Amino acid sequence: MEKKFGVYICKGCGIGEALNVDDLKKATAGGAKVPAEAVKDHGILCSPEGLEMIRNDVKEGTTCVVIGACSPRVKFEEFDFPGTITERVNLREFIAWTMEPGNEDTQAVAEDYMKMGVIKVQKGGLPEPNILEDLSNTIMVIGGGITGITAALEAADAGYKVFLVEKEAELGGWAAKLYKETPRLYPYDKLEEPRIFDKIKEVESNENVTIYKATTVEKTDGQPGLFDVTLRTNGSSQTVKVGAFVMAAGWKPYDASKLEYLGYGNPNVITNVQMEEIAKKGKIVRPSDGKEAKKIAFIQCAGSRDANHLPYCSSFCCGTSLKQAKYVREKNSDAVAMIFYKDIRTPGQTELFYKNMQNDPGVLLTKGDVTAITDAGNGNLHVEAENTLLGEKIKVEADLVVLATGIVPATRATQEYFDALTEAGKKGDDAKKAFLDETPKPDSILNLTYRQGPEIPTLEGAYGFADSNFICFQYETRRTGIYTAGCVKQPMTMSDAAEDAAGAALKAIQCVEHVAKGMAVHPRAWDTTFPDPLMIKCTSCKRCTEECPFGAIDEDEKGTPFYRLNRCRRCGTCMGACPERIVSFKDFSVDIVGSMIKDGVDVPDEGYRVIVLACENDAYPALDSAAIKKMKLHPAVRIIPVRCLGSTNLVWVTDALSRGIDGLILLGCKYGENYQCHFVKGSELANYRFSKLQETLSKLQLEADRCQLLQVAISDYDKLPAMIDDFMKRIDEVGPNPFKGF
Amino acid sequence: MAEQIIKPDVNFINDVIAAGGESVKKCFQCATCSVVCNVTPEDNPFPRKEMIHAQWGLKDRLISNPDVWLCHQCSDCTAYCPRGAKPGEVLGAVRKLSIQHYATPSFLAKAVGSPKALIGLLALPVIIFIVAILMQGNSFIPEGRIVYAEKFMKVPYIDVIFSAAALFAVIGFIMGVSRYWKDLTKSIEMSSNPWQRKVKGPMIAIILGTIFEFVTHKRFKKCEVTKDRANTHLFVFFGFVGLAITTTWAIAYLYGYEFFGITAFSVFHFGESPYPLYDPMKIVGNVSAILLLAGILQVITNRRKNAEKAGAGSYFDWLFIGIITSIVVTGILSEVLRLADIGTEDGLRLADLRMLAYPTYFIHLVSVFFLFAYAPFSKMAHMVYRTTALVFAKYSGREEKKY
Repeated sequence: MEKKFGVYICKGCGIGEALNVDDLKKATAGGAKVPAEAVKDHGILCSPEGLEMIRNDVKEGTTCVVIGACSPRVKFEEFDFPGTITERVNLREFIAWTMEPGNEDTQAVAEDYMKMGVIKVQKGGLPEPNILEDLSNTIMVIGGGITGITAALEAADAGYKVFLVEKEAELGGWAAKLYKETPRLYPYDKLEEPRIFDKIKEVESNENVTIYKATTVEKTDGQPGLFDVTLRTNGSSQTVKVGAFVMAAGWKPYDASKLEYLGYGNPNVITNVQMEEIAKKGKIVRPSDGKEAKKIAFIQCAGSRDANHLPYCSSFCCGTSLKQAKYVREKNSDAVAMIFYKDIRTPGQTELFYKNMQNDPGVLLTKGDVTAITDAGNGNLHVEAENTLLGEKIKVEADLVVLATGIVPATRATQEYFDALTEAGKKGDDAKKAFLDETPKPDSILNLTYRQGPEIPTLEGAYGFADSNFICFQYETRRTGIYTAGCVKQPMTMSDAAEDAAGAALKAIQCVEHVAKGMAVHPRAWDTTFPDPLMIKCTSCKRCTEECPFGAIDEDEKGTPFYRLNRCRRCGTCMGACPERIVSFKDFSVDIVGSMIKDGVDVPDEGYRVIVLACENDAYPALDSAAIKKMKLHPAVRIIPVRCLGSTNLVWVTDALSRGIDGLILLGCKYGENYQCHFVKGSELANYRFSKLQETLSKLQLEADRCQLLQVAISDYDKLPAMIDDFMKRIDEVGPNPFKGF
Repeated sequence: MAEQIIKPDVNFINDVIAAGGESVKKCFQCATCSVVCNVTPEDNPFPRKEMIHAQWGLKDRLISNPDVWLCHQCSDCTAYCPRGAKPGEVLGAVRKLSIQHYATPSFLAKAVGSPKALIGLLALPVIIFIVAILMQGNSFIPEGRIVYAEKFMKVPYIDVIFSAAALFAVIGFIMGVSRYWKDLTKSIEMSSNPWQRKVKGPMIAIILGTIFEFVTHKRFKKCEVTKDRANTHLFVFFGFVGLAITTTWAIAYLYGYEFFGITAFSVFHFGESPYPLYDPMKIVGNVSAILLLAGILQVITNRRKNAEKAGAGSYFDWLFIGIITSIVVTGILSEVLRLADIGTEDGLRLADLRMLAYPTYFIHLVSVFFLFAYAPFSKMAHMVYRTTALVFAKYSGREEKKY
């Protein structure tokens, strides 16, 4: 493509007042070597007239459009010129709204930004999507409970083929084991027949859905659009091809045998699951002698919200106990249900059911800590509780005790196994071998052939629930194309799980549709660029394969890395990792950013220059927010957006410092436990690489303080300008870069 | 601290609900009520604990609980309750059950609390007074000028009937209150609550303190949502006090003359009724009647005005209000009709006044009888139980002496 430039500078929104636009036009043309007549301005560039001007130029052959106006995060629909390389230069937020107007320094910032914008387009190219062949758009749903069935139906109704895999002989999961369901309809006072059976019928008769019962996943190989899944049914295996997954493997009840202090082991102390079985059979009778129970105690948070057991709330148990109290009352109006709780937690409309149940004179509730459940003789039990409003220490007799046990995610066992294995590995090979010999390996659900392990990864502090980028994209796991839903992700009620299933099904559909267009799946859902390595120069150092957070890079038999492109999220971590600098995207490469720094930033003999490499996901919007609040940005800084701090190649730093730039700030996400980085660990990796760099800087007699990584959340915008100012103070103490002028 | 055995009683929960505490189960124990209450002691405040005790049907802890009576049903709690549990109404229901529990005979206690029994309860005084009229050989609508005592119901009849009713009530109260006091003191010995420290002081000082407190309505004035109630109650209270003084005074006039031969002097008209309007006794009586009328009418309007915030009130409440209203309205009307009769010329006097006056006076007698005879079983009993509870609260150390 021949590159014909059109450079446009908007004078609206305060830009015209802050800058001498005529001078800026001249400087841009001269500095970035574009014809002077190709640099234009307009009073309001996003107005119909302004846009018409650009469109006419495009019609007449302009292929590269550089727009100096507002932040690229706004007006992206207006400034959209298909078929062109369009680059936005943020004159409004980064200059007009944040710097002194009509000032020499301010003008210099604008000139640098305009030059950098043009250089970026000069060095870059028009993206062409890389669409892999033989893609499947079938969605595989793992788990045939309420979540899985709902996800399967949602995807099937949207016109996609679905494979529904259930490890049990029948569909339905826990939902099929219930006697009744908590009310879902106003006025939330009547128990409802389980709705799962209608759903099972519906899914079994849906022609888009193929059901594999009594089936497990033996192996999952490949990438989104091209997953090869080996299924094992009754001893025989078959391999099918699928495009994306909804992983709804569900949960298990917490092991009540660990709740001895609550009397479990006594036949008349049962779990909420057992209560459903009893209610299904008829009268509420106690297991020890089959006598009808009339004083039934429900113990909430049995092994939940308890540091010694499950530290979290399972969210459904309060609703379930209230429902089971209704079983008790409906089956025998002389019977009473006594509920001992820490706090009643009835999410959503279940609150209205709670209010209705409260009004029943035979349903007695008290807050309190149940300390023990002991034998009272004749099969009865004493519930002992403390800190109740009925008394500091109380004892109540019951003839049946129901423990409201919580949810353990199906992923927990595998994750605990691998966590323990890692721990053992740290102690040495012998400890690792001993662990492997002694510990039975739990069944994995997906059996992924990813180098990062066979299961959806765990999140630190998430108690074995499946990974989720819970802040921004709750369905996203670190395994592209595999979306978790229901109680495998977090404890939820059946209604919530069904809703969650619909969302996950939509994400799976988005995935197969995007890979079919050669687009990134998420979060850069518009992006048709892709990592395009110059393999001749690859030294097979495997840094990229190690560092890719998504397992998108594997090695062939010879140890040479290759991309499984559809797993890739286009963060550029590989680009930042590669010591040979061979990885490039069409509009983002080591060379592009390096040239922007080298040729775009004018380094004066007097005064400082500092480069800010800002993560596009949090740091850049935070800077925009600071601008909207009209906070002041230091005029010595030049902000360059990067896809992720993980994409920061250290050569940029050495390039910048060798040119006399006085300092660099890497502005990225917070990292650590419960990652919030869109690309999982970009800023963490950048920090790691930076720490190595700082050693080198010290050797070169350059102060390590010249380079700093600052962690910011999007909400830290109000602190950002001050953080930058503090950095500038430090630079002032250190003094100018000694390489200046060389 | 000793372990307490909790035995839920669903029947008692149902009793509370039936007695006007139908919202009791809505409480989720957030304690907003105890926080907004201005009359509760700071330690172990009510009404939250009473709410959960009622929810679990722990009758023993409620019936003999002095806190139930420390509550003046300001309804601040009810107005601020986030769940609509109306603690004020629930405690009102518990007080009713407490009155019924201690009153003897218990069937009468149940009857006063039940709308179904109202006709039967009214029938008793109606029959008594009809029989009395017949025994005197009087007509139901006597001829001539209106003279209630002479032509309709002679003083000895009045005295005998009302003395009997009052005696019945006093005996009922003594029995009920002594049982109540016994339970209260027993609860000190049984209780593990820190406030029940048995700080017995000089009983006479405590009683005087309590009397001072309710004469001034100091505690009642702490109410916020229904802050007019203290004033209206003060009207009613002093209306009754004035009428009690008037009654005693009238007895003195009559029997002072009959037994001690004291005759009228100055403005004091010893002797038989009727007495002139300028007689001080008459003035006290009429002023008291007007106070009572003004008070009870305000009670009714305020209650209706605050119904949404403070709750509509139970049958038990409204029966009591109804009886007082009936007494004061028929009392004043009887007097007005009699005066109207005096004020008119013979020729102009119409049969109509008599037709209205005697039935009105009859209703007045029935209403007063109702109030007297059924006092230990009706809301009237609150004056006795509340006083007892207030005395106990001071006596037991439940309350600091700040009141």
